[in-house]
This record gives sequence, structure tokens and C-alpha cells, in this order.
Amino acid sequence: MEKNFIEIENLSYAYDEDEGDKVPVLNGISLNISKGEYVAVLGHNGSGKSTLAKLLNMILTPTSGKIIVDGVDITSDELTEDAMFELRKKVVMVFQNPDNQLVATIVEEDVAFGPENLGYPSEEIRKRVDEALRTVGMSEYAHHEPHRLSGGQKQRIAIAGIIAMSPECIIFDESTSMLDPSGRKDVLNTMEKLNKEKGITVVTITHYMNEAAQADRVVVIDDGRILMDGTPAEIFSKPDVLRNAGLDVPQCSAIVEELKKLGVPLDGDCYSTELCAELICNYLTNVQGL
Amino acid sequence: MTKIKLENISYVYSPGTPYEVTALNDVSVDITEGTITGIIGHTGSGKSTLVQLLNGLEKPSSGRVLVDGTDIWEKPKEISKVRFKVGLVMQYPEYQLFEETIKEDIAFGPRNMGLDEAEIEERIALASSFVGLDEELLEKSPFDLSGGQKRRAAIAGIIAMKPDVLVLDEPAAGLDPLGRDEIFKSIVKYRNETGATVVIVSHSMEDMARLCDELIVMAHSKVVMQGNCREVFSNAGELEKIGLSIPQVTKLMMLLKEKGVCVDGGVYTVKDAVSELAKLFKIDH
Amino acid sequence: MKNISFGQYYPAESIIHRLDPRTKVILAILYIVCSFVCQSAIGFTALIFSMLAIILISKIPIKTILRSIKPVIIIMVFMAFLNLFLVKGGVELTVWKITIYSKGIYTAVTSVLRVISLIIGTGIFLTYTTTPIELTDGIEQLFGFLKKIKIPVHEFAMMMTIALRFIPTLMEETDKIISAQKARGADFTNGSIVKRAKALIPILVPLFISAFRRADELAIAMECRCYRGGEGRTKLHVLRYRTRDFISMFIFIAFLAGLILINCFGVEYPFIENGWF
Repeated sequence: MEKNFIEIENLSYAYDEDEGDKVPVLNGISLNISKGEYVAVLGHNGSGKSTLAKLLNMILTPTSGKIIVDGVDITSDELTEDAMFELRKKVVMVFQNPDNQLVATIVEEDVAFGPENLGYPSEEIRKRVDEALRTVGMSEYAHHEPHRLSGGQKQRIAIAGIIAMSPECIIFDESTSMLDPSGRKDVLNTMEKLNKEKGITVVTITHYMNEAAQADRVVVIDDGRILMDGTPAEIFSKPDVLRNAGLDVPQCSAIVEELKKLGVPLDGDCYSTELCAELICNYLTNVQGL
Repeated sequence: MTKIKLENISYVYSPGTPYEVTALNDVSVDITEGTITGIIGHTGSGKSTLVQLLNGLEKPSSGRVLVDGTDIWEKPKEISKVRFKVGLVMQYPEYQLFEETIKEDIAFGPRNMGLDEAEIEERIALASSFVGLDEELLEKSPFDLSGGQKRRAAIAGIIAMKPDVLVLDEPAAGLDPLGRDEIFKSIVKYRNETGATVVIVSHSMEDMARLCDELIVMAHSKVVMQGNCREVFSNAGELEKIGLSIPQVTKLMMLLKEKGVCVDGGVYTVKDAVSELAKLFKIDH
Repeated sequence: MKNISFGQYYPAESIIHRLDPRTKVILAILYIVCSFVCQSAIGFTALIFSMLAIILISKIPIKTILRSIKPVIIIMVFMAFLNLFLVKGGVELTVWKITIYSKGIYTAVTSVLRVISLIIGTGIFLTYTTTPIELTDGIEQLFGFLKKIKIPVHEFAMMMTIALRFIPTLMEETDKIISAQKARGADFTNGSIVKRAKALIPILVPLFISAFRRADELAIAMECRCYRGGEGRTKLHVLRYRTRDFISMFIFIAFLAGLILINCFGVEYPFIENGWF
């Protein structure tokens, strides 16, 4: 991996309550994300994960601490509008509600919105739009009206609109939480494809475990602090920590945990059904010789 | 005893136009009193239309909806009485909150029923205790609540009508695990304490397995399966064929069975799976 | 509700459909001018024929066009009657106790003709053959020069686009809110006007809240997609005038010139003065 693309240094954020009290949301978070990484930030609602997204997106300014993106301090007061524009080209966001991100009444016009803002000539925009729609598998819908599409399809159009700007990093802010299972699966596949095939850095902020399982690295946030930082296998092998952080424990991990408590020495990754089945089978053949 | 009976229901959207869509095609379903019945199916299978027929929000193109043995469309003028009896919580119900305080919003339904103020107060207290909303929250504006709290307030608005049947269309959509668990807890509590019948639409098989007594599986505008969790989830192949998943536990047990391990493939909760596997490992559980 | 479509765009393959939207705006304006320039019977005859020609070329069924005239029929009838009884001049005609004049008949007929040509002209060029989005695009580019005098043309166009994008979404949302409140026993059909107006509050409040929330989120999403106003923006579809645009504009200008010429040389009210009535 190359040098750090996003550096978060001791980041804190607190908002003002009515009586002038400060309510802390983030308490000194430090996190480095390298180029090309696929990171899931896991946490329940109110854990501070969406505040982190808003800080990364320059919607909020931190109470203390810094965020450095590609060598530029985005939390600096002296950040010029042009510098901000440059940053927005590099780090883009996909939001929760697909409806509220689409601007135009025709799919391809919407995908073109970003490149149009960046001032590319129209042949270049055409190329980018076609390419982006192909990447998300929505080429045949180029001339459709967004409001007639399903949630998952709309979200993929929103993603196409963003990759048409050829960003270096995409932050998904709970982008699958309003989708049905098939829509979620399509969006997750797209995320993986963008990271693995296009080399785009992907940060996904979520509370869904299967979304985290697919990432290379999982960061668990609770109470505005980083609780855990590791591979999915490492994270899922600690059901207690997940439970305390208000998160779901995948059923397979829960079964293995219970069996361990009963004295069955199961050791190994078990965050997917396949791994778990294998683990149990191996145990049965090796230890008990069944 | 059958609480709700759907007889040969068909429902067609925009009939006679180029946009004509058949949402339900000759559907017959019985929902037993006091059970929690889950409706599963992918988007567009007709399940959202089905729940809107239960309380008379939509009128079937053909067929009858019977609640307690009477056709709800017998007296169309009295349809609102059916809506008080069969309370429907729609998707993302927090978007319908409109009063200045949560309390007033919960009172909207009871007030439409024409209850007196004392009774309304009582209903508010009852409903908010079912969903676990603290009294101090009742005086707050919906804007000051968290997403999960708003959702529970909206559900309280329906519970305050004391419906015999509580119908919820994806009550946990978009909530995190804590928010989801709180909602499900209130639903189970309402059923247990009032003996009401509950109908839930959800996409999460794990949630359905944990909550429901009965399951109705819908696909292509029809009911394709109906039975208890065990009966439905043991048809994993068929569920996958219509694009639905099965709970992770069931999947694990089926994988083990495929690999030649002798386990029951119809297990659908973590607890049952653990005791099943414990048997296998010859441990006293 | 989901299938609602906006404007009255009628998809068909005609040369008018394929014209540049800017051309269509110009043609619509020219056509309106033509209908006002018309004075003489020859001019109006030409106007009727041109109308028929435009309808035929546009391939839009007469039925559809007649439907657009329907809402203004009452106004037209009213206008015709006013002209009929108030305008004096020419040959007198007394039926029972009412006296009308030939000039009155003439103005009544021509004023109705003018309104019809106005509706059909703008209708065919601006709504039936042009999608709202094309029209917005066309207007933005045609009046782009107004930016120089600080008229926010781009912003208006953007607002128009966003409105078109969100109207169906909000309609759908309204439907959902109505159902949700009905499920709580809300009654929108019975009671006095005051009661019914009050019954709208549970619909309007959530709808407005949601619209503001959407606006907020959309603004952030647009900013994230590097939107910073019209400046420096390019377009996926660049409008280009083609030969057919120049030809059609030439035809219309020639038609207008012809009408003006008829006015200069032609005689006003030929039938009346010759006493043919």
C-alpha cells in the first residue's frame, strides 16, 4: 500500500446544546486510510459515525484535530474555495437516500452532472457517462427517468454519477440502509468492483455486518471512539465487543461462540456460513474422527 | 380462530391504461387470531399491496376481505371503523408525524375515533409505555427525537387506537440493531399483553425467524408458501429460486448436511442450532 | 401516481420534434407575432392554412390538440360575444331586437382565431414536441446573454430541472402520507369546508418537512458533485443549429413578411366594404 491518503489526527467534535453545553460526539479519533484500501466503519446510530462522514465531507468543522486528505488539511480555516473544489473532485460521497441525490430527469443527464460541473468538453463527458453506466451495469437505463427506477437502481445511478468524475476515494454514508436485499446486493457488488477493478479507495459507513465482512478492514466506532480496527475475521471473532458496541453478531459467529462456551475448541474464521461449516466439519473429522 | 380471511383477492393498478399492473392475483390467505404472521417476498411481489387491503386503504378489484367473519367492504361508509380495528403502520412511518409534540401526534388516531379527552390521555400513556417512550419525550417536538424514537412514536400513534390487528410494513427498515430490537420488543409486548394479531412485512429472514409464528411467502403477485417457520425455511431451494434468502443458521445447517454431517436442516434459530450441534459433539447441553 | 408524466409531450417522429429547442422557442414567438400581425381576411386564411400545416407536420393527433383548446373555450365564447355585440361598423343586421354589425362578426371570428393559433402555436412548438428538459435547456441557452445584465438564467433553468425531477417524487410521497393518515382515521371527504381544510394539515406539514429535508440533502449532494453555479459548466448535450433549423426559421420569417406586406397593400375588410354581406 502507498502512503496514507486520508489521515485523521485526534479528531473531536461536539455540538452545542440549548443551554450552551457541549455534547461530545467524537472523542479524539485517529485513523489512517491508504490509497486503494476498502474500509468499513461500523457503528450503531449515534456512535458518531455519521458525524465522521460529515467532517470528511467538510459539512461540519471539527472542534479539535485535523483531517488531511492527500496532503491537504481540509479542516484548515484558510482552505480556499478552489482548494475545496479540488478536494471534492478527489473524495466524493454517496448518501443514504438515493432520491435526494439525483438532479436530472433523465438518467444519463444525471450521470453527466458531475463532469459538467468539472467543465469537461462534451465528447469527454459522453465517454465518461457511458463508461460509468457500464461500470454500474445500468447502460440500458440511460434514457430512463430516475423516479421510475427501484431504490437499488437509483443508488447505482448515483454511484455512476460519482465515478464519472473519476474520484480517488468514495465514501458511502449508509448508502444501502434504505434498499431492499437485492438492491443492497447490487450496490455492494458495485462497491467491491470499484475497489478491486478500478483501484478506488472505498470507505463505507454502515451498521450492516455483511457490508463489513466484504471490506479489507473494519473500524468499529462507539461513543465517538475507535473500539477496534482490524480485518473482518479479527472483528467477527470478538462477538462480545460487537454486542457492546450495539452491533449485530453474525449468527455463525454466535453459534461458534456458544459452542466454545460449551467447551468445543473451535478455532478459526467463522464470519461466513461457508467458513463456519468448514470449521465445524474439520473439527468433526480431525478431532472426533467422524 | 381465523381473524382475517382473504378470499380470492385480485388487485390491479390503473386498470384499462397502458400502465396496468396486476399486484395480486387470486390470493387466499387465513391469518389466525393472536399469532405473529410474517409476510416475505421481494420488492414488487405484491406484499405492500396486500397489507393495504387488510385495513381497507385499498379496495380489492375482486374477492373479499373478511375481518372477524364480516366483509369489510359491506358498508363502505364505515370503512374507517375497520381502520381502527386493523391498525396499519406504513413504511418509514416517522415521515407522517405532523403535530408539535409527540403526545399530540399519538392522540391523532384516538381523537379521530371520537374518544373523550380522559380516554385519549389514557391511550397515550398506554401506547407510549408499549413502545418504551419516556414521559419527558412526549412533550418534545418530533424534530428533537432520534430516528429510532421517531419510529417508535409513529408506531405508538397506531397502538393508541388499540387495534385488534397490528399490521407493520417493514417496521425496522433503515434502523440499526438497537433500534430494530426495541421496535420488535414493543411489537411482541403488545401481542402478549393484549392478545392482538400481528402481521409484519420484512426483508430480514433472521428477524422473521426470530419473531414469527406463521409465514406467508409471496412471489409474482401470488402466495407461494404458507406455514410455520420450520416448514417454510426447510424449503430453502424454493425460496432461493424466487430470489429470497434463508436465515444464516438454516444455511449453515444445510451446508453441514450437504457435507454429510447428520444434522436437522430445518433449524432456524441460534439457540436450536447450538443444541443441535452440541448433540453432535456429544456434550450435555 | 407513479406513472404521471409532465407537460403534454407527445412522442412522435416528426421534423418539428427534431428541431433544436431554441429554434422552437423562436418559432413560437414568431408565430405569435404572425397571429397579431394578421388583419385582413387573406392574412387570416393564410394563418388557418399555416395552422393546419403545422399540425399535419407535427404528427400530433387532432384530438390531442383539441383537448388543449377545451379549457379556454369559455373564454373564447365570452370574447366572441363581447366583440359581436360591442363592435359597431359595416353592415347592420337586426335579428329580433338585437342589432349586430358585420364588423362585429368579423372581429369576433378573428379574435377567436387568434387565440386558437396562439394556443396551437405555443402548444405544438413548446409542449407537444419538446420535453420539459429540452425546453429548459433551450431557454437557458437562448437567453444566456441575459446573464450579462445579471439575470440568473442558469439558476432559473436549474430550478426548473430540479422541480421537474422532484414533482413525481413528491406526488408519490403525498400519496403515501394520505394513506398513512387515513390509516389513523383521518377523513378528507366529509364535513364543512373549514373542517376539510383543517384535515389537510396532517398531509401538508409532513410534506413540507420532507420537501425541505430533500432540498437540504440535495444541496449537499450537488455540492459534493462539484456544483458551484453555472460558471465553468459544460454540457453533455451541446445544442447545435442544423439546416432544418435555419430553413424553418426562414419560412416563418418569410411568412411574417408576407403578412406584413398584405397589410400594407391589401384592403381591410374587403367583404364588408364591397357590401357582400
